[in-house]
Amino acid sequence: MVRAMLTAEEFQILSTSLGIAGRAVVFSLPVAILFAWALARPRFPGQAALNTIAHLPLVLPPVLVGYLLLLAFGVNGPLGGWLKQTFGIQLALTAEGAALATAVMAFPLMVRAIRLSFEATDGGLFEAAAVLRASPWDRFWSLALPLAWPGVLAGAVVAFAAGLGEFGAVITFASNIEGETQTLPLAINAALNTPGRDDVAFRLAVISLVAAIAGLLAAEGLQHWARRRLEG
Amino acid sequence: MSLDLRGAIVRRGGFRLSAELSVPSEGITVVFGPSGSGKSMLLSAIAGLHRLTAGSLAFNGRVLEDVAGQQRTPAHERAIGLVFQDARLFPHLSVRGNLHYAEHRRPAARNAPITLEISRLLEFEELLDRPVKNLSGGERSRVALARAIVSAPELLLLDEPFAALDGRRRRDFANFLKAYSRDQGVPMIVVTHLIDEAAELANHIVAMRAGRVICSGRPADVMTRPEFADLLAPRDRGAWVQGAAGFASGDGVWVRADSVLLASAEPRGISARNVWPGTVSGIVREPDGAILVSLATAKGYILSRITLEALADLRLAEGAHAWAIVKAHAL
Repeated sequence: MVRAMLTAEEFQILSTSLGIAGRAVVFSLPVAILFAWALARPRFPGQAALNTIAHLPLVLPPVLVGYLLLLAFGVNGPLGGWLKQTFGIQLALTAEGAALATAVMAFPLMVRAIRLSFEATDGGLFEAAAVLRASPWDRFWSLALPLAWPGVLAGAVVAFAAGLGEFGAVITFASNIEGETQTLPLAINAALNTPGRDDVAFRLAVISLVAAIAGLLAAEGLQHWARRRLEG
Repeated sequence: MSLDLRGAIVRRGGFRLSAELSVPSEGITVVFGPSGSGKSMLLSAIAGLHRLTAGSLAFNGRVLEDVAGQQRTPAHERAIGLVFQDARLFPHLSVRGNLHYAEHRRPAARNAPITLEISRLLEFEELLDRPVKNLSGGERSRVALARAIVSAPELLLLDEPFAALDGRRRRDFANFLKAYSRDQGVPMIVVTHLIDEAAELANHIVAMRAGRVICSGRPADVMTRPEFADLLAPRDRGAWVQGAAGFASGDGVWVRADSVLLASAEPRGISARNVWPGTVSGIVREPDGAILVSLATAKGYILSRITLEALADLRLAEGAHAWAIVKAHAL
């Protein structure tokens, strides 16, 4: 149905966007969960530093994040060069790179939602699990994660919706390559800068808006459903 | 074989618990005291949920925690079960899921009932597939106890297990604990502030006040001490009586002052099975206005709480003869 309503070009832009945002969420979710868990723990040395790292993308200009990624993961950067030589993987100017830039930008949102969920869990339940012989690692998998599930889901969906709109970091690190890294906001920007493509920009803007609203509604719905399952 | 706390100190939010204690690792030990005396904290320390800041803790000769020796066994390796007052069932699991959680984590060699057996024993088989959020307070208590038993602990701690139960269920629950401890050889430590439950369950009793153990030992010894009487609210006063009719235990029974009637002449044609003659040895006016009469009898001292009017009618005075009457049912 969606396909019938869109032009071939629009469909490709939308699927590129969904693919990049999806990969960004899948790859950053485990890291975000670990960060959130560590930040929700009682204070420990290095926690403030960890907190700063997790929130840095929120306050840095997206272009700067893209530039830093380019310095590190560009073909001549220390990490990028190593990846290219060892695994033959190139991130700069590819969809994978766009996903990395999107993941970094959406990371603070994800960590925040998941962390709140960890913090809202009744600590007494972990004591109850401990006296039933569950080790700390076991308690994380059997209790902390399942109980924080609503927050994890919501964090993932919000990050996905935000990822659909990421512009600065993506265009700096992965450029604007049609069919590869051209996501919705990049395509809107390109259309606005091309004379006579205003209607294209408008249609893409509507698609963006619908996708963003759907994402937020889905996050809300998932959280509501998961909470009802836990609390009744 | 015993549980030993030596110079143990636990600090928690301004509260300081200090315990010098040795309790036998068999039968049921009751920790009794008014609220705020540190009973729950003692259980948490034994289970390994609160750290000792000084002293040591050993169970059956195995050192679980020794601050000076920098040794500590974490809670999940202690094989000590704890039933929390607020049950703490896992909300994302069904009743069966909660019991399986314990069953899957116990060592294969430990012999204890599995999920289905315990749910039959405690009469909640029909609840197994319910989400725990749909349980009543009493049901939660039973499931929490079952979960702890299924984990096959070597020592079971229970924090106010009767709090959410009504009269009949209390009695069933107490009988179950006694039978289970005896038949399975699992020592238990039960925290309660209810004198009747304490007296009914205890093979050994530990009395606490303001973060300290004030006395411990056999109920017959501890519950007759003046410092134990000081822990009791006026309505909870009573006496330890040996050889009452209608009570099986040879060790005696706690008789509440509230359930003892007094007569100034020998009662005849009366249904009560326990009628004991004695001499009035003390008359005290309680802060709440009631009169506490102590009677020296062949069974030991018996206390009776009566009103000022009743005292005047009976014309009781120290040295007077009187008869104490107790229904066997009240024991």
